[in-house]
Amino acid sequence: MDQVTLDILWNRLIATVNEQAAALMRSSFTSIVREAGDLSAGVFDQRGRMIAQAVTGTPGHINSMATGMIHFLETFPIETLSPGDVLFTNDPWKTASQLNDITVATPVFRDGKVIAFFANCCHALDIGGRGLSADSRSVFEEGLFIPIMKLYDRGQPQQIVLDMIAANVRTPEEVLGDIHSQVVGNDVGARQLQKFMDEFALADIETLSDEIIKRSETAMRTRIRELADGEHVYALTIDGFDEPIELKARLIISGDELTVDFDGSSGASPLGINVCLNYTRAYTTYGVKCAISPDVPNNEGSFRPVKVVAPEGSLLNATYPSAVGGRHLVGHFLPSAVMGALAEALPANVIAPGFDGLWDTHIAGRARQSGEHFSYTWFSAGGAGAMDGRDGLSATAYPSGIAGVPVEVMENIAPIVVHCRTLRNGSGGPGAFRGGLGQDMDFEVMTDEPFLFSGLYERTRHAAPGLAGGGPGKVGRLSASPETDLQPKVTRTLPPDTVVRLELPGGGGYGSPLERDPAMVLADVRDEYISSAQARDVYGVIVDEATWTVDEHATTERRAQLGDR
Amino acid sequence: MSFRIGADIGGTFTDLVIVEDGGTKFEIAKVLTTPDQPDEAVLQGVRHVLEKVAVSGDAVAQVIHGTTLFTNAIIERKGARTALVTTKGFRDAIEIAREHRYDMYDLRMQRPLPLAPRHLRFEVDERVLADGSVRKALDESEVRALAAVLAATDIEAVAVCLLHAYANDAHERATGEILRELLPDVAITLSSELVPELREYERTSTTLVNVYVKGIAEQYLSRLRGRLTDESEIAGNLFVMQSNGGVCEVETATRFPARLIESGPAAGALAAASYGKLLGHRNLLSFDMGGTTAKACLIVDGEPLVAPDFEVDRQYQFKKGSGFPVKVPVIEMIEIGTGGGSLAHVDALARLQVGPGSAGSNPGPASYGLGGTSPTVTDADLALGYLDPGFFLGGAMTLDMDAAHEAVERNVAKPLDMERTAAAWGIHQLANESMASAARMHAIERGKDIEKFPVFAFGGAGPVHAFGVARILGCPQVIYPLNAGVMSAIGFLTAPLSFDFVRTLQAPLEDLDWSQAMAAIAKMEDDGRRILSRTVAADSITFARFADMRYRKQGYEIRVPVPAGVLDKSSHAELRDNFEQTYTEIYGHIVPSTPIDVVSWRIVASGPKPDLDVGDHQAGQSTDAATALKGERPIYLPSIGDFADVPVFDRYRLGARATLQGPAVIEERESTVVINGPAAIEVDRWGNLLADLTPAE
Repeated sequence: MDQVTLDILWNRLIATVNEQAAALMRSSFTSIVREAGDLSAGVFDQRGRMIAQAVTGTPGHINSMATGMIHFLETFPIETLSPGDVLFTNDPWKTASQLNDITVATPVFRDGKVIAFFANCCHALDIGGRGLSADSRSVFEEGLFIPIMKLYDRGQPQQIVLDMIAANVRTPEEVLGDIHSQVVGNDVGARQLQKFMDEFALADIETLSDEIIKRSETAMRTRIRELADGEHVYALTIDGFDEPIELKARLIISGDELTVDFDGSSGASPLGINVCLNYTRAYTTYGVKCAISPDVPNNEGSFRPVKVVAPEGSLLNATYPSAVGGRHLVGHFLPSAVMGALAEALPANVIAPGFDGLWDTHIAGRARQSGEHFSYTWFSAGGAGAMDGRDGLSATAYPSGIAGVPVEVMENIAPIVVHCRTLRNGSGGPGAFRGGLGQDMDFEVMTDEPFLFSGLYERTRHAAPGLAGGGPGKVGRLSASPETDLQPKVTRTLPPDTVVRLELPGGGGYGSPLERDPAMVLADVRDEYISSAQARDVYGVIVDEATWTVDEHATTERRAQLGDR
Repeated sequence: MSFRIGADIGGTFTDLVIVEDGGTKFEIAKVLTTPDQPDEAVLQGVRHVLEKVAVSGDAVAQVIHGTTLFTNAIIERKGARTALVTTKGFRDAIEIAREHRYDMYDLRMQRPLPLAPRHLRFEVDERVLADGSVRKALDESEVRALAAVLAATDIEAVAVCLLHAYANDAHERATGEILRELLPDVAITLSSELVPELREYERTSTTLVNVYVKGIAEQYLSRLRGRLTDESEIAGNLFVMQSNGGVCEVETATRFPARLIESGPAAGALAAASYGKLLGHRNLLSFDMGGTTAKACLIVDGEPLVAPDFEVDRQYQFKKGSGFPVKVPVIEMIEIGTGGGSLAHVDALARLQVGPGSAGSNPGPASYGLGGTSPTVTDADLALGYLDPGFFLGGAMTLDMDAAHEAVERNVAKPLDMERTAAAWGIHQLANESMASAARMHAIERGKDIEKFPVFAFGGAGPVHAFGVARILGCPQVIYPLNAGVMSAIGFLTAPLSFDFVRTLQAPLEDLDWSQAMAAIAKMEDDGRRILSRTVAADSITFARFADMRYRKQGYEIRVPVPAGVLDKSSHAELRDNFEQTYTEIYGHIVPSTPIDVVSWRIVASGPKPDLDVGDHQAGQSTDAATALKGERPIYLPSIGDFADVPVFDRYRLGARATLQGPAVIEERESTVVINGPAAIEVDRWGNLLADLTPAE
């Protein structure tokens, strides 16, 4: 196969999985799948190796699917499959570490032989149990567990299985509808694959997959080899539930291989925030990819040189039947743990830790005028970390890829009035490059009765640290007026007319604030991202607010003074 | 005898088209764009076309104009120094945006900086709630004090966007009145007069974009109108093309320049739809490939698809989410970074990549000889024999074949250890692949079967690549219109006078206040009649009604047709049916047992749609293609993997009903039609080339 044909086939394969994802999104019943693209879709070769993946979704789905197909093939060896078979599962330990995430895999037959698999993973609206939460004590409480099994057998839907699901979930039509969309998505992918195999007269895709995997692996190994051999340890502390959680990453660079070992991190939690190893691996490899290989496509080859380990039975390698429904509450911090460890080896390509964990607010009660019951949840983002050459993004989700909801939409959907939603001045970690700002959000619930409030908030006690001499972002804060004793992660009943105030954490800074360009400090003061006192005391820059200029002489003096300390 | 003129200012050329209404005259002209004073080129062009049809300005009933001036002002940040006035607690809504990263892996990704910097964003202590009720009344003295603060700065424009102003615009109007009174020289736009729709970030962004270029629009359009009257002695009115596919008067364009931003590409798609009508194709894929990008638009049932919003100034490789959202109706288009100037390179994985980086027009492709050394799509096309080095732009420019060869050899063939020709073919083919993939994706997202759509090819590079793209997509036919180089200007002449209205009135369909909805619709229709009847007869105005609807708790609405006449309780079933039908068209199914909400009502008021008459082609020309034969030249044929001699025709000497067979090359001034495989080609009575793709052997 010549070079250009191979490139064309590779592009065509990527187009095929993008079309698979588009078809799935188009027909999904679930807003988050359809609008936020919260799904993953990919194509695998005969040996269960992922060779191309749709450019969509969030890291947790994407990277955990790559390793999933092997498990399907262990349960259903390739020679036992027939045309029209469709397999599926939601086994957290084999796929995306949460029962709500259902993976559907379809073998593609050509001349009577399986030549590929299309698979995708989507978040089901409901899976029974307690509903999506971190409150369960074991996976049994979290809903219906579907071991790897046939969804279709030789083209026939397995009605018993479908009936069983329908009887176990709160929204059977949507859940079964989405499973159907997942099957349709795979079919669209398979049809496109067959078409281009006809066009290029291919009998199978093994040569192509060998080449794709080889080239991606080589590129990845080349990148790793460019890093100096060595070990780097970085520990990140987050609030956790009852006690702080420590995420300790030991990064080992050895030749063209990279290992991240989480030995020494916190042990298993009695609550549903445990993480299955495949999800740990997903967010860890995501961090590695952002730093060293954002341009290398996701496939078996690009994952091979990166190993992720954690002691069995610990928080980051949960064992059955631990509760894992809230695994994202821990998993979202893993990219920062990895970046911190990579910072010494690759200072120019990492970002400092940020707020990382989305703030998830839930309110429920009875609305003032209509008296109707309401239940409403939304996510808010704090500040991301800074990196060499770039300030952190303010109020922007990372590493999760979600989008926020406009206040006007919130106020239309729920009986809520948002008093303010502004960037939180002074919250970005100081540095040559400043951490992103968190946001302040005050809201009031329009009700005459006490209402339920709960917030899964992180980094209210442990700030996002800076890197390379940068300072930490401000910790988050939860308060209310009139004053009430509110705790993050504790559900409370609040009296009507309470105004809840969320102050979201800022991101860590990068490099010494004394090295920040005074012109950028001036602009920050003028735009109130920082105060002139902060400019003077932390950045050592003296700003004249009457003329909006930097007093250069005083600044030089001040910086020398601060530098001596 | 009455004429209409279309005038399109592009980056390099300003295109003019004149047609005789109900007559046979049709002429075009192309003059160099005059960037410092864009109206100058329009005046020159007008002079040319008037001479060609030998009439004076007083025979011209309408001039329809489109320009990228406002888009460029935004991209180059050359608009007004702009402030924002908003509700207390929300000055950062424009900066917080959607809290979203548009690229998952690029840690250096950045969003565009708001057009009003934070220190020019001011808050007033007022509050309207979602139902339109006032929670905190506006204190006019606060606004007066703010006006004094603004007057002390050197701002030139103010956007006013208060929370929930779509539901109750009283505070915005009061604020606007005070600011207009106290700041008479400052351009002011209220969000509720431009885009009275839900979602504060998108509404603020749209309002800022509008007011940022309002001053430029006012100055430019009034000067152009003055000169057309005074110097060209044109008796008729000046109209301006909007991005929704309609035209508007100068007064409207001046108030709402945000509506003009994507007008050039929109007009191209409109022209495609008109040609489709002429040729009897209700469905088409409009394919416009130029120097830096390719644009594709689906024409379905005779109309281009319309989207409710778009983004301007995307920061990052055409990525969704990386620009400023502008919430005005726009002809829906996908744009990808593949054009004649797109650069080819070998990436870290030893993959050949084409675009999205572009050599632009300066230094341009290596073969331009202007200092570019990297191979581009145009260089590959030249190396494959698809372009004639001596007949580029009709011979106005000579291309350097050696430079093209060298660039392809050095940057692609050598690193990949392959033959130069194979490398050039790889570049050409990969460009086709990415355009085909983007078009197919778009069709799948819209639930359309693109294999049944003929391709309508224009733009400088469109005719070179359309045949290859159509083959990849499995499309049955490629249409190469005559005058492909002035397609947008032709599109202007097919656009009806139109204006869009929207009113957000969110309510459950089950429990709708029909009299309130009807009153809102009637008001919008009255406004439409009032605005349009200044120009066209009141009885020729038509109204299309739509509702933005969604299943409750879904994040986005879909546009659903609404029946004409009086709406009341009995309209409920029909509206539900229409919603479910539209939803099924887009998503393939309905969502069972979920309540439906109406979010907004929309009216499109339109004048009569002008018929396109491009005139019969070259009566008296020979139907024998042989008379148009210029010679033969070797081009690369993928079927044999080598060069072979194919006939080269002069497009302008091909008479109507002439037939020819592919492979062949047909040359015209602004482009070259390349048929590098088997096809049956026919010239129709209007001079269009219709190439039927023979099914693959």
